[in-house]
Amino acid sequence: MDDLLAEFLAETREMMEAVGGELVAWEADPSDRARLDAIFRFFHTVKGNCGFFDFPRLEALSHAAEDALAEVRAGQRRASPRLVTAVLAIVDRIGAMVAAIEDGGEMPAGSDDPLIGALSAGDDDDDGVLSHDPGDTRSARAGAGQRTIRLPVSLLDDVMASVSDLVLARNHLALRVREAGSDSPVYAPFERLNGILNEVRQAVTRLRMQRIDHLYAALPRLVRDLAAELGKQVMIDLEGGEVELDREMIEMIRDSLAHIIRNAIDHGIETPSARLASGKREIGTLVISARQSGNRILLAVSDDGRGIDGDRLVAKAVAAGVLTASEAEAMAAADRQALIFEPGLSTADQVTSVSGRGVGMDAVRANIERVGGTIEVTSTPGAGTRILLSLPLTLSIVPSLTVSAGGHLFALPQSYVEEIVHGRAGHIEVARAGDAMLVTVRDRRIACVPLAGALGLEDACDPQAATLVLIRLAGGDLFAIACDRVLDHHELVIKPLAPAVMASGLYAGSTLLDDGKPVLMLDVAGIARQAGLVGDVRGRVRTAAARDAVESDRAGVPAMLFIGLDGRRRAVRLSLIRRFERVPSGSIDLGGERPQIVIGDRILSLTGIDSGNHPDGQVSVLRLGDGESEIAYAFDRILDTVELPDEIVPSGRPGPVEGTVLIGGEAAELLDAHWLFATHAAPVREAHRPTCRIPAGDPWAQAILAPLVESAGYAVVGDGFAGQADVAIATDDAPLGDGAGGTLITLSADPDNATPDGARLYRYDRAALLARLAALRAGRAA
Amino acid sequence: MNELVLVFTIAGRRVALRTADVYSVVEIDGVTPIPGAPGYVLGLSALRSITITVVDAAAAIGVAPPAMPERGARAAIVDHEGHRFALVVDDIDDVAELHSRPAPVPGEAGPGWQRVSEGLVETARGPALLLTLAAVLSGPDAIAA
Repeated sequence: MDDLLAEFLAETREMMEAVGGELVAWEADPSDRARLDAIFRFFHTVKGNCGFFDFPRLEALSHAAEDALAEVRAGQRRASPRLVTAVLAIVDRIGAMVAAIEDGGEMPAGSDDPLIGALSAGDDDDDGVLSHDPGDTRSARAGAGQRTIRLPVSLLDDVMASVSDLVLARNHLALRVREAGSDSPVYAPFERLNGILNEVRQAVTRLRMQRIDHLYAALPRLVRDLAAELGKQVMIDLEGGEVELDREMIEMIRDSLAHIIRNAIDHGIETPSARLASGKREIGTLVISARQSGNRILLAVSDDGRGIDGDRLVAKAVAAGVLTASEAEAMAAADRQALIFEPGLSTADQVTSVSGRGVGMDAVRANIERVGGTIEVTSTPGAGTRILLSLPLTLSIVPSLTVSAGGHLFALPQSYVEEIVHGRAGHIEVARAGDAMLVTVRDRRIACVPLAGALGLEDACDPQAATLVLIRLAGGDLFAIACDRVLDHHELVIKPLAPAVMASGLYAGSTLLDDGKPVLMLDVAGIARQAGLVGDVRGRVRTAAARDAVESDRAGVPAMLFIGLDGRRRAVRLSLIRRFERVPSGSIDLGGERPQIVIGDRILSLTGIDSGNHPDGQVSVLRLGDGESEIAYAFDRILDTVELPDEIVPSGRPGPVEGTVLIGGEAAELLDAHWLFATHAAPVREAHRPTCRIPAGDPWAQAILAPLVESAGYAVVGDGFAGQADVAIATDDAPLGDGAGGTLITLSADPDNATPDGARLYRYDRAALLARLAALRAGRAA
Repeated sequence: MNELVLVFTIAGRRVALRTADVYSVVEIDGVTPIPGAPGYVLGLSALRSITITVVDAAAAIGVAPPAMPERGARAAIVDHEGHRFALVVDDIDDVAELHSRPAPVPGEAGPGWQRVSEGLVETARGPALLLTLAAVLSGPDAIAA
């Protein structure tokens, strides 16, 4: 709402600036119809906007002025200088009020009635000038906060496009500069240009961002209209409106979100009588919440309606021939609910004017996938449904992998990539079923699409020699793309392709690499679709069945094999790994009690690193999580993902290594997650801190002394402390009585009063005080 | 009438495009092929750090099979619906003044030419078929409206 208000104020102020000129011109020539219309429009707009906000005085003023001007426009009244003056007075008053609202201050005092009264028809021929006082409007406006301007969206788009092009040109230039070497005279200016360009790019990225409020603004009305049409009562609750999202992205998901809401109200939320009958409140609730999680935005739409009837969906799917009865039998509840994303399956028995006309959630899913997002549904029958959209933060810059296939180079968005494995890795099995190729990765049998074949480059594909990129699509489908090699990671500025190329359905866009060569961004969802993999309900059922069978057999524990910074082979259970990071070594702090590392805006305990040995350049770390806390583990390089053998030779004593395992004929140390978290994730806190009593009534002691004492490891207690403190500090002004307990330190305002034994110290002799406190603490512990 | 056109040759025939449609004339080098794209779309190239789609003009009209351009082949750079294209042609002649409005071709120009052309125009460099950019870029399979 604050956003809307700011927009209203900005618009009003902008119009006032324009109308000021019109007013002067109109005053000079009251018969000027064009001026009159412009001024009339101003009042009309202000009046209309006031309706959204609670500004009765503004509304009354603009309404009165609008009425008076309407009479002039209708020819019922002549524009006299008296009327012009009265209108001017009202414009000034509106200006004063707008400035007051902006500053959050008081509305200008005094009644508006005289101003409104001055508009009244009557002595229009009387040329008497009504005195009006512009008052402090100018000075009030000067005090207004940050100035804003309004710009056409197309201009912003142009600027963004130009900056993207600038980045590409910079990349091209960077190559030439690198070739010239670092002693080239253009090197330093180029580096400077580079830095500035990065700043500009960040600023432009912020320009692209818009609060999700803008998406929310239209929803209450949509919900109200839908509810009225369908005879339901729905309350909408919008959360996280301050989350920012790429403006383009907001436009791309607007329709999908409306569709999801339509579905929720039509199919999810019951009629008031049905709700009462099932013991719910008459009014249904629809909660839409947004939050940022890393570089994704999570947008959830939850209703407290009847939930999704998975059985009915399955029945429909069987009736439609999409599933066989036995396959349906094997489906998990979550998979049943995910059927709402299949084309042609609607739970709506009746086609209403609102939904159930065949344009269903499958279209929504396709839309969300197109922008690189994912969609999931969770539903509890009788209690409600939650649809979760996960969207990339921005469309313009896409973290991507470059891969090669059939001698060509392609990029694919990293957000889809679940895992990269080598075809010859031990735990991968390849099977051929007719023309289809299947790979089994950790007991999941998934379809494998040879990239070169999918693009029509070549047919032969040896999965053993290929690199498999496991792709997780929206809706949860998993498949593998077999390519020759994975080359590099880039942040790419993706541009749309010509329609004739887009029509192939294989590409999402193109960009230029650092060397100035164009590269095509693959549309992984499109490739999966062309390979007949998306919406393949049977496939999903098969993998579910296979998964169950294997799990009952023996659940192999997957682990990551890597080389530590000390060169030793180590393994860590895969389930602990949150993600990998590459961070500059400057973000490592080895000086403290425990090594720490700064990743993004978080400080994590760092382990796997020798505290005497500060690495150079970039450091790779694993982020390990136990569900609550996270720690970082530095490593040299990753070898492979493996399956842990049953046999683990335990290490003799507790430590970071749980035991030794044999992987690929060589020994590797298996990290002991419990020990690591117990040692590194717990906050630094001593079991029992010594206490120090300081004078409670002395502000100096409370404000200046207490923090120092605490930093020395003591708990500060006041006069109210009943027990015996370990140390007591007194000052000359506030001597402590007998029985203060413990060792007494007296702080004196006079340096000459200090005694060498430390019993009496100068109050600002910080070093001596800390040394004394530390000595007492050590003595107590001993 | 002093509208200007760029006169060039495609498959040995003299054709013209309005200069308003043409951004520049370049020599093409380094084309990245696009697997799966229609044949007349030869690939992508970079021009002043902007990606352009390289189109074989003769193949797009449907009068010759697509062929990769030789190094230094001439192309007209055109903008259409927010995308930039390079139309690879036989040779680029010159910019010339238009002497007449497009008139129907006496006899038949042939199906491919008929689809992409507004008609015959007289130019200072001789008669030429005036091309419609949108029709050329939509490719040989597009149904003529």
